[in-house]
Amino acid sequence: MMDWNFLTDVFQQLLTGLPLTLQLSAMALAVGFALSILVAAAAGSSFRLFRWIGNAHIELFRGTPLLVQIFLIYYGLGQIPGLRQSFLWPFLREPYWCAVLALALNTSAYTAEIIRGALQAVPLGEIEAGRSCGMSGLLLRRRVVWPIAVRQGLAVYGSEVILMLKATSLASIITLTEVTGIAYKLISSSYRVMEVFAVTGALYLTLTFLISLAFSVIESRLNKHLAYRRN
Amino acid sequence: MSVAVNESSARATAIATQGLRKSYGEIEVLKGIDFTAREGEVVSILGASGSGKSTFLRCLNLLELPSAGSLDVFGERVKLKKGASDAHIADRKQVDRLRTQVAMVFQNFCLWSHMTVLENLMEAPVHVQGRKKAEVRDEALSILERVGLTHRADAYPAQLSGGQQQRAAIARALVMKPRVLLFDEPTSALDPELVGEVLKVMRDLATEGRTMLIVTHEMAFARDVSNRILFLDQGRIEAQGQPQQLFAGGVNERFDQFVRRFNESAAH
Amino acid sequence: MTLSIFELIGFGPHGWGLPLLTAASITLAAAVSGFALGSLLGVIGAALKLSRSRILRAAGTFYTTVFRGIPEILIVYLFYFGGSVAFTKVMNMSGFPGFFSLPAFAIGVLAVGIVSGAYQTEAYRAGFLRLDRGQIEAGLSCGMSDFLLLRRIIAPQALRFALPALGNVWQSVLKETALLSVIGLTELLRQSITAAGSTREPLLFYGVAAAMFFIIGRLTGSLLSRTEKRLARPWSR
Repeated sequence: MMDWNFLTDVFQQLLTGLPLTLQLSAMALAVGFALSILVAAAAGSSFRLFRWIGNAHIELFRGTPLLVQIFLIYYGLGQIPGLRQSFLWPFLREPYWCAVLALALNTSAYTAEIIRGALQAVPLGEIEAGRSCGMSGLLLRRRVVWPIAVRQGLAVYGSEVILMLKATSLASIITLTEVTGIAYKLISSSYRVMEVFAVTGALYLTLTFLISLAFSVIESRLNKHLAYRRN
Repeated sequence: MSVAVNESSARATAIATQGLRKSYGEIEVLKGIDFTAREGEVVSILGASGSGKSTFLRCLNLLELPSAGSLDVFGERVKLKKGASDAHIADRKQVDRLRTQVAMVFQNFCLWSHMTVLENLMEAPVHVQGRKKAEVRDEALSILERVGLTHRADAYPAQLSGGQQQRAAIARALVMKPRVLLFDEPTSALDPELVGEVLKVMRDLATEGRTMLIVTHEMAFARDVSNRILFLDQGRIEAQGQPQQLFAGGVNERFDQFVRRFNESAAH
Repeated sequence: MTLSIFELIGFGPHGWGLPLLTAASITLAAAVSGFALGSLLGVIGAALKLSRSRILRAAGTFYTTVFRGIPEILIVYLFYFGGSVAFTKVMNMSGFPGFFSLPAFAIGVLAVGIVSGAYQTEAYRAGFLRLDRGQIEAGLSCGMSDFLLLRRIIAPQALRFALPALGNVWQSVLKETALLSVIGLTELLRQSITAAGSTREPLLFYGVAAAMFFIIGRLTGSLLSRTEKRLARPWSR
């Protein structure tokens, strides 16, 4: 009763959009993560100006819809006087780079919050133990604080990665033909909504599942020392 | 010196069990308990950890469901139907009705944390027993005065000390006007200096002739206040009798051992 | 003629102030309605996931997995196109030829509601699990029926515990309504797209839209956190 030919056809067409979906996610996450470290550092700085900039960045990019951010960058940046002549213009007039920029800025704000939360969750006792051994500064951070913070923040960051994957679907609205863009074309041309949705949904769910799995594996590897807890 | 009511005035049966058994999977915690508590009696239930004493008490108001055996409350047989491993409550309305007359005081107080002390006291009388708010309020305030908590009537449980919370919990049980009071290790979760204020309240209740079944580790209290001791060991009633007789020694080997071990650890 | 920024966003004859504010109220209405639908679905979902029946638990997990794992825009397309296709079939069969689309507001609320319901399920479930077992036992031992227990003990506490998570869900719902611009609902983003196109001032109007979303978020957020604090008073020492 199910039209397997159609479903297979849909799947094959969606797959052509998969590389773009994955690229957008990966680039946005990489750039966004690097940026988030700067933002988190600024937000936690002792200089009031940096703190203000860092917090403003976090508040603004978490407090406004991603789609509005995408529109601002894609349609709005072209209006800024100097920008069209600058070396950035070849990038910023491309939907691809606008999408990457918007997604990266968005995730940098959320990730900065995750970093802040993870650092706060490091038990004070373990930091003090390090200090009392004579550790300080970069050594203390590298050997004690950051490894523990990573384990604290890993689960939440896994959620953020999944959110970013889903967010790439909005790139279809500025003409990019990633998976959702192709799904939209198929729906509006064939009107076989349920079938296209089912295949597209299954594809995204598979990706989501794989990401969750990957993070579970990383988490259990990193937390091997907890495996021998006596209950 | 015993403060319990004399035997002659304790006539009617309050709670009776016959062949009560309870298993958790493979492990049998209660191995056939035949027990009768009469109105006006104060029974202290003693035993080591794992002897089944709390499980037994919790079977009496069906917070635990027995695997076998029967339970009679105020002469009424509690209707249970057989299940795969445990029995199930056959008539929930009957159980709810009986529960309003058998009040329990928990080890961890279990005051409803989103309500004030006064609201805690008024909750069941108004919403379960259907009594009028004004009458219940007066009753609640007078009982709070009895237990010495009038000044904390509008406080939330999180703002009270352990001893205050337990006294409030006892007050909550009393406002229901129960015929039997069940105490499940009422002082075990308290800091030592707070135990006394709770025991004092319990002593007063015993003096006025209440029917009380108390699972406790407080030996002195059990010896002085109860008119019967029930000693459970490995799910069976190992010894039963008047406190003076049992504590004098020589009646039951295991009981003497239990008291000895308890005194040794208390001495340290 | 060149207009100043203030004239553009103001309330004068060429100003977009009024349309934008009207659109913002549509945004708020859609968000509130969607969140309300989500609350209903969330309670049902939590009940399913907490059930003793494995089938019901699986149904609940299916709901939360699907609607949290699939991009929201796809779900909007599903309801919009799917709903319109179904509605058109019905109308065609009843003798009305042509294409029929369903009202964007209703579709939007449905889509936002079903997604937020999946997240709210987790919030209510976590809230319920934080409940101390002793609270329930104390209620049972007073002779409370299951319904009375739920109404007087379980729900008041579980809801309070769920509030912080629900606050986050609200902020997400508010921002998600921007997606409804693609199905033609004249909410804030859609209106600013129109304004930007008409005046060729995308930076200004998308900036204003962002600012308005931000302000609405902040105002509702502070209202929620004040309510949260007041309801959490019993547990503050």
